[in-house]
Amino acid sequence: MANTVIAHGITIEGELTSDDDVVIQGTLRGKLTSKDAVNVESGAVVEADISASSLSVGGQVTGNVTASDRVDLMPGGRLIGDVKASRLTIADGASFKGNVDMDV
Amino acid sequence: MARASNSSTSHGGAVLGKGAHIRGRIAGDGDLRVEGSISGDVTLKGQLVVDGGAEIVADVQASSVIVEGAIEGDISATEAVTIRASARVSGAIRGSSISIEEGASVSGRIEADFELPPELGGKGGRS
Repeated sequence: MANTVIAHGITIEGELTSDDDVVIQGTLRGKLTSKDAVNVESGAVVEADISASSLSVGGQVTGNVTASDRVDLMPGGRLIGDVKASRLTIADGASFKGNVDMDV
Repeated sequence: MARASNSSTSHGGAVLGKGAHIRGRIAGDGDLRVEGSISGDVTLKGQLVVDGGAEIVADVQASSVIVEGAIEGDISATEAVTIRASARVSGAIRGSSISIEEGASVSGRIEADFELPPELGGKGGRS
């Protein structure tokens, strides 16, 4: 069970920080920082810079993304922004526009 | 369709977990359970539950509000406001019905609309 769930129909305008994992199903505008995993589910809209240990995108993300572990773009996911992570997967059916920095 | 019975997501409600903090505005149609902290206004069409240990520094508006933690700001509900024993509230409380348990600390105005019973001469009054 996820620690923090921003459910469908909820809109946050501002900054969300969390020590634990975060699941976004609704809308977030601003900034998102988590020490654990962030999961942007299908149908979610995030217009924010995201910093997390790992990030999975099944919804729509506009913003720069930094992950200490990995970033996964799921089928149907859409990411517009730069990615900084040591591991990145882009699934078939995902869309992505931006730069990748794998820290090599 | 199978539904998980123990998952917080199964009833469609949002949860702000322990160790999570929001600085900004929150609006929504659904329910929200707060275990972390919020500084910024909260406007919901559903139920707001402020867990013990949670802290909100802002005005909150919801259909109903249950407070077990701390709120510094005005509470406004179209339905019931329930202040549990562990709660600390400073700010005005507005609701169609308000209950405060023994042990809760409340400072601020309380506004509730209700009909006075006929024996008190009321044709519906305000307090």
